[in-house]
Amino acid sequence: MKNVLLVIVISAFAVSCSSKPEASTGEPADSGKTGGENIAVFTKNQTNPFFQTVRVAAENAAKQMNASVIQYVPTKADDIPEQMNQIEDAIVKHPDAVVFIPVDSEAMVPGIDKLNAAKIPVINITDKVKGGDLVTFMGCDELNLAMSTGQYLLEKMGGKGNVVLLEGVGGSLNSANRVKGFKMALEKFPNVKLLASQPGNFQRKKALEVMENLIQSYPQIDGVLAANDSMALGAIEALDGAKRKALVVGLNGTKEAIDAIKAGTLLASGDCDGFLHGCLGTMAAVRHLRNLPVPKEHTFEVKVIDNTNYTGLDLPLEERMCPTWESLVKN
Amino acid sequence: MPESAVAQGWSPRRIPGVAYALVGLGMFFSIFARGFLSAPNLVNVGAQSAILLIVALPMTLIIMAEGLDLSAGAVLGLSGVTLSLALVQGAPLPVAFLLALAVGSTFGAINGLLVAVADIPPFVATLGTMGVAEGLAVALTDGRSVVGIGSTLPALYAGKFIGAPFAVWAAVLTYAVFHVLLYRTRFGAYVFALGGNREALVLAGLGANRYHILVYVLGGLLSGFGALLLTGRMSAGHPTAAIGMEFDAIAAVIVGGTRFERGNGWLPGTALGVITVGILKNGLNVMAVSSSLQVASIGVLVIAALLVDSIRERR
Amino acid sequence: MKSARSFHIPPIVYRMISVALIAIALAASTDAFIRSENILNVLRQASLTFLIASGLTLVVLTAGLDLSVGAVVGLSACLTGAAVKATGSIPLGIAVGLACGVVIGIANGLMVTSLKLPPFIATYGMLWIVYGINYWYMAGDTIYGFSDEFKSIGNGYALGVPIPVYLMIAFLILGTLFTRNTTYGHEIYAIGANAEAARLSGIPVRARLVLVYTLSGAMAGLAGVVYLARLGSAEAGIGDPLLLPVIAAVLIGGTSLFGGSGSLCGTLIGALILTLVLNGMNLLTVNAHWHPLVYGGVVLIAAGLDAAARKWSDG
Repeated sequence: MKNVLLVIVISAFAVSCSSKPEASTGEPADSGKTGGENIAVFTKNQTNPFFQTVRVAAENAAKQMNASVIQYVPTKADDIPEQMNQIEDAIVKHPDAVVFIPVDSEAMVPGIDKLNAAKIPVINITDKVKGGDLVTFMGCDELNLAMSTGQYLLEKMGGKGNVVLLEGVGGSLNSANRVKGFKMALEKFPNVKLLASQPGNFQRKKALEVMENLIQSYPQIDGVLAANDSMALGAIEALDGAKRKALVVGLNGTKEAIDAIKAGTLLASGDCDGFLHGCLGTMAAVRHLRNLPVPKEHTFEVKVIDNTNYTGLDLPLEERMCPTWESLVKN
Repeated sequence: MPESAVAQGWSPRRIPGVAYALVGLGMFFSIFARGFLSAPNLVNVGAQSAILLIVALPMTLIIMAEGLDLSAGAVLGLSGVTLSLALVQGAPLPVAFLLALAVGSTFGAINGLLVAVADIPPFVATLGTMGVAEGLAVALTDGRSVVGIGSTLPALYAGKFIGAPFAVWAAVLTYAVFHVLLYRTRFGAYVFALGGNREALVLAGLGANRYHILVYVLGGLLSGFGALLLTGRMSAGHPTAAIGMEFDAIAAVIVGGTRFERGNGWLPGTALGVITVGILKNGLNVMAVSSSLQVASIGVLVIAALLVDSIRERR
Repeated sequence: MKSARSFHIPPIVYRMISVALIAIALAASTDAFIRSENILNVLRQASLTFLIASGLTLVVLTAGLDLSVGAVVGLSACLTGAAVKATGSIPLGIAVGLACGVVIGIANGLMVTSLKLPPFIATYGMLWIVYGINYWYMAGDTIYGFSDEFKSIGNGYALGVPIPVYLMIAFLILGTLFTRNTTYGHEIYAIGANAEAARLSGIPVRARLVLVYTLSGAMAGLAGVVYLARLGSAEAGIGDPLLLPVIAAVLIGGTSLFGGSGSLCGTLIGALILTLVLNGMNLLTVNAHWHPLVYGGVVLIAAGLDAAARKWSDG
């Protein structure tokens, strides 16, 4: 039995070793080939709808440009070593380019270095990595977005009253930027009091519990600044449950948020649309491979979505198409 | 020295399920995953599995002693944070490393005291210390990475000696040390006894507690060592990057054939378990399998690997 | 000092005292605590933990473990959400959630009994498989938009008391009757105390084990429905952070991992203690970075008190 096993193992190894791993479908990046480019897309986790939007958009854009996409998502959400592993595993397959959202802006820098060493161009979207050579970074100006959205809320409050702030995940960069933006908006309205600023981990359930507790501690809350839509919606559930009312704003502009804006439960959401990140990032990757110009940095327009301007943004994911490059990027 | 050959539980005729899984997966990926069998990829798998192996080896001993250590991942994080903060303050690498080892061992000692002396069930004790370690790590860093640790450690991690990366050497060395420790020293014999026949140890006045504590100290110490590797890999310290690794390690140990209640331990099985999971994840990535399927496959592998053993035991 | 009459205070009393002490401390530190809304919130939050922990308690009583409960909550919530949205029928949705839990529970039970897999591995493997199914099914989406009627299961009040609290009380009573007053219950304790002896005395061990795992899955399935109703939306990762607090609640409640001792009352108190601590930290706006530290500390203190109480009543 053992001998049979041994023979099978050896022959299998022999068979596969004799056929060399196929060279990647792409040729060296500057051949100007049009079509068939292979893009590897890295997102943070499988649960946050934002990243699903990015993934769907990437597939969309690739199809439009006659390229193909491989998705890499960690099996454990936001796992740093796992994303590092996936970079190494991806390098073995040698994709033509990589569209990258880092699980952690600092810790993933060595991964970018590895991609650089393997001469694979990196297009960074959504969260900026703090190092390595990038073809471009495309993302929201989260500081401005939060500031504008916060300002919108405070204006609607008449410039006075009490607010609470729901932060994101403790150490994350985009949480820090969003919170900073909110606080900058608060500075412009000295008559508004910030009662508390608590992390909700960008999660609905956590935000719901935190909000419930804040409602207990503070009898009068007029506004809620939430660093993302999930938390905003969680806060709304908490307010409903306690039969309290407050104006709530979120960030990201997810479909659920837009539905809530339509229904009148959410006041507004700052538009940071993952769909555009995925579209543009993938397009930039393909363009770069085809020697077309790509700006070194692209910041998406700051827009606050409220009940006056949401039309066109509330399409279900399956029906959305990537806008053209020219419509978004002014060269 | 007490006979430990019988307790080893391995004879040439009984190939454990995990070995079948390893070979099976290896064959499968060799055929279906282009690039899997290439030297760079296999080296990657080795390096990727190194830290888990370093955590799983002391875990084997702990499980043999009828315990488990849920704090391994959190302590690794805290040690890594300590290491990085020391480096940022300008400490030379050996000093920072010793500091990390000290932090790890301290938590290990606390675990050992809680379990062996205070008689608190290991699950509970290490669940508690996990929270404490994670809390300290997060509090020290505000939940963020610690950067600016200089280039010595990353360079060490990236270094290759005779073609194999530093991480692989670290893992191999650790395995060798544990092999000797478990199968060739009195301590090892006592570890077998701790699980199988603790009363005998106590009656013989051989300080069962001392060895019991030492087993957990080893766990903490190696978390500190693992922190060196992880920090080198990320060029940064991160408080929560290793959270969850303890469950993976426990699973690898059990899949490898060690059991909670029998004082049976098989160190090679742990290595097989770690490598098999590493190959699975790597192969699936190289095959670009969808991530949800990857997640499910891990569960199937873990169950399937033990199924072979179970079916055999029933005959 | 040994005394002739042993001063035996049942552990449950210690625990109830702990709850009272924590409550008093919180009431003293902040006005917000003692408000009826807050107390009701705490009870509601504790109910959700208790629902899951109650099923898990039964498993732990048999010296087993069910690591898949968090994953089951997530999958159940998603499937229930899909069912309610597709058909508009709330009873159907609840049935789907329960069925999901029951099926997974039966599978766990069969793996442990018929396939003789160690519970850790069986339920750990199941955890991954369930997450894989969940991620694939949800594809990163969320399901939202439920009627107020449905949401009231999680959010609503009846006679001024949150509905989940009624569920908690109901299952506390049912569960306690089941474990204390039925042969099934006695058999479960016996299996935990000594499975082999139980088998020899004619107890259908396998059937009982399948039963407890099924119940654990069912409760997790039910909890998924309640969570969905409370949050108003389902996404694949809901259950992620639930596993460890639920296990902690069971252990703090005094149920032993070695099987054979413990109670649902204890689990309820464990859930209350954890929820109170969390509530206190939120009301006192303790920086979230300290939360894991406090959690870990609570677990250790509870375990330490337990161990001390055991020593006292033994001496």
